[in-house]
Amino acid sequence: MLTVEHLTKVYEDGTVALKDISFEVQDGEFLIIIGLSGSGKSTLLRCINRLIEPSEGRILWDGTDITAAEPAQLRRIRRQIGMIFQQFNLVKRSSVLTNVLSGRLGYARTFSSLLHRFPAEDRQMAARALARVGITDQAHKRASELSGGQQQRVGIARTLMQQPRIVLADEPVASLDPVLAHSILGYLEQLNQEDGITVLCSLHYLDLVQRYATRVVGLREGRIVYRGSQEDIRRMTDEEFKNIYGQEAERTNVGPRKRE
Amino acid sequence: MTMVRQNRNHPAAAKPLRLPAAAAGIASLILPGLGQALARQIQRGVLMLASTATILVMLGWRVTLLAHREVGAMAMLRKALHQQPLFIGLVIAATLILWLWNAWDAYLLARSLRAAPVQAVAPQSPAGTKPPGKGVFFYVLIIYFILGWQVSEINLVKMITQLPDAWPPLSKVLWPWEAAMTREVQRISAGAEIQTPCLGTPPAPPQEAPGKPYVSVEPRCGELSSLDKNNQVVQGTTVTLSGRGFAPNTETEIWWLDALRNEFRVRLEGKYLSVRTDGQGAFSISFPMPYRLIVRKEGESEIHRVEARQVSTVGPLKASEPLRLTIARMVETIFMGMMATVFGILFSIPISFLAARNLMSVSWITLAIYYATRTILNIIRSIEPLIWALIAVVWVGLGPFAGILALTIHSVAALGKLYSEAIENIDSGPIEAVQATGANRLQTIMYAVVPQMISPFVSFSIYRWDTNVRMSTVIGLVGGGGIGFILVQYIRLLDYRAAGIAVWFIAVTVGVLDYVSAEIRQRFS
Repeated sequence: MLTVEHLTKVYEDGTVALKDISFEVQDGEFLIIIGLSGSGKSTLLRCINRLIEPSEGRILWDGTDITAAEPAQLRRIRRQIGMIFQQFNLVKRSSVLTNVLSGRLGYARTFSSLLHRFPAEDRQMAARALARVGITDQAHKRASELSGGQQQRVGIARTLMQQPRIVLADEPVASLDPVLAHSILGYLEQLNQEDGITVLCSLHYLDLVQRYATRVVGLREGRIVYRGSQEDIRRMTDEEFKNIYGQEAERTNVGPRKRE
Repeated sequence: MTMVRQNRNHPAAAKPLRLPAAAAGIASLILPGLGQALARQIQRGVLMLASTATILVMLGWRVTLLAHREVGAMAMLRKALHQQPLFIGLVIAATLILWLWNAWDAYLLARSLRAAPVQAVAPQSPAGTKPPGKGVFFYVLIIYFILGWQVSEINLVKMITQLPDAWPPLSKVLWPWEAAMTREVQRISAGAEIQTPCLGTPPAPPQEAPGKPYVSVEPRCGELSSLDKNNQVVQGTTVTLSGRGFAPNTETEIWWLDALRNEFRVRLEGKYLSVRTDGQGAFSISFPMPYRLIVRKEGESEIHRVEARQVSTVGPLKASEPLRLTIARMVETIFMGMMATVFGILFSIPISFLAARNLMSVSWITLAIYYATRTILNIIRSIEPLIWALIAVVWVGLGPFAGILALTIHSVAALGKLYSEAIENIDSGPIEAVQATGANRLQTIMYAVVPQMISPFVSFSIYRWDTNVRMSTVIGLVGGGGIGFILVQYIRLLDYRAAGIAVWFIAVTVGVLDYVSAEIRQRFS
């Protein structure tokens, strides 16, 4: 169980990204975080694995305080938390296989991993991960040669290598077209239902939220403004959805999105 | 665009213009640009005034240069017009037209702004009141071009008429390969002694040895040619030189050696004397004895010597001295470029981290280091390697090391900038992603940073090597070693063939390197 208590993040320039956020995530949930660009979704997800240091508050995971973890302990926590990004964040010049294997770095021995030497079981695991997302034949291509949808599948394979208990997905489909969006979220749902991995995912589109979420949290200007169960969200109308997003809801689906 | 901005910043511009169009025109006639300024187009007015003023100043300068002896402006102008009627006349006429155009421009501008005050903002305007365009400034550029033609002393006539004179040396540069190969030269010579004047016993004829060339002279004594008191030529005794045992059918030169063994070729009616041997290698030639060079002592006789010499090329073709020297220097040049690049890379990598903004914006101290590094790099880079070479020659003396030093200094600055920009352009996304897997710092650098850096580093380094070899071919011109060093020497010695060989080697090397470096960089991009 993941517990977020009074989480606040103030950036150096004074921007308040998160303000007194508290919520709980039960194991096996598919929690979707909705909100405008700049509402704090990315900051919230990054605070959980401390890619961004929270200013105040605690994050407890099965009793362990993530926010208080020492560097070595933090790395052990991070390797159990997979992360998927809007821009895929693959190393574009490296091969697909290297990108996937890099998901294993948290478990690997430093010296041999620096020489790109991985144990045979890791390589077999990478092959299984690639097969699971259906890109085995692309393993030796450069990541940059793949299409957007394929790159995100590499991102999922990389996460699988971590054998994660939680997956954080930051706008995983915002750079993809709707058909691919279902395919990618389908893989996440599979992880959630078959492997029992908890998923925290930020999303923009109401139909996707209704289709995949088991629970929803709405953010606006760094505060939680909505908490809804699967039933609540299924009953939700476009009008209500727009209310969460505020007056600017009309503009959320057009134009380039910045990472908040 | 600028006009739009001006009008926005200038609330007054929104109000209709009250200035009559004719008044603007007259104002600009008095002072170029004034009318435009009054019509609230300050920028256009200043530009107009500056253009007219610079053209007038340039014209004045050229006139004073052409007629610096004359007194008074009109006299100078008349003299200058006389000296270069086409140029001075053209510029004066063009300036007058510009002056009138500027007045017309002010008139049009004022009229269009009166008709529609927001003219500059709204592109569509009532017919007939279109604001003036940028044509007048294009016209100013043309006047500058005419001035530039004269200031830079462009002379197409010279270029064409002097081409025939330049052709012989140029052709040697273009096709220098006759001087690239040589053969061993063999000299065959034999001589006989001759006494002058005849006094006592003349010297004995030389001994003939089997297999060696042999000559004899008859008579074995005689008078040299000389001038009498009236400067009339008194021809010397005619002697006959007969030889045998020489190479058959070969030109044979006749040389004379005086008592002090000064040697010179014998001339007959201004031409060097030479004879062709027959099929058996024998010849015979008669000629008057040459002039005396050194005053002889009264009452004594001297022994002179006459020789027949043959020069023939024998043996296989060999690389000539210039070719061998050029190859050696070319190798030196390539190594100079390589060494300078290696040193440049080694020094610029640490420096590039100091010059990368994303790494150095941690605190104000690091930021200060960043600005200092950037400034120093920019200064070093703005000084050409040739000038660094001049400094390095003073520092470590002539030779390739000075060239390497100069190129290294410049490479450090150039590569430091390029590398630091590569570091600045690193995508932080993959770093974040690798960190999120629980990787430690070293693993993150190896998996997320290094792959992003390799390609630009390799590409910039190869490009720099290419540049450095190209630069090191010219750095020798100022004494920095390499092929430029001998190239400039050959040109000064007017040895155009040897210079041509060096030029060819430079061209081929630079061309090949250009291709290879482009290929390699392609692989890494």
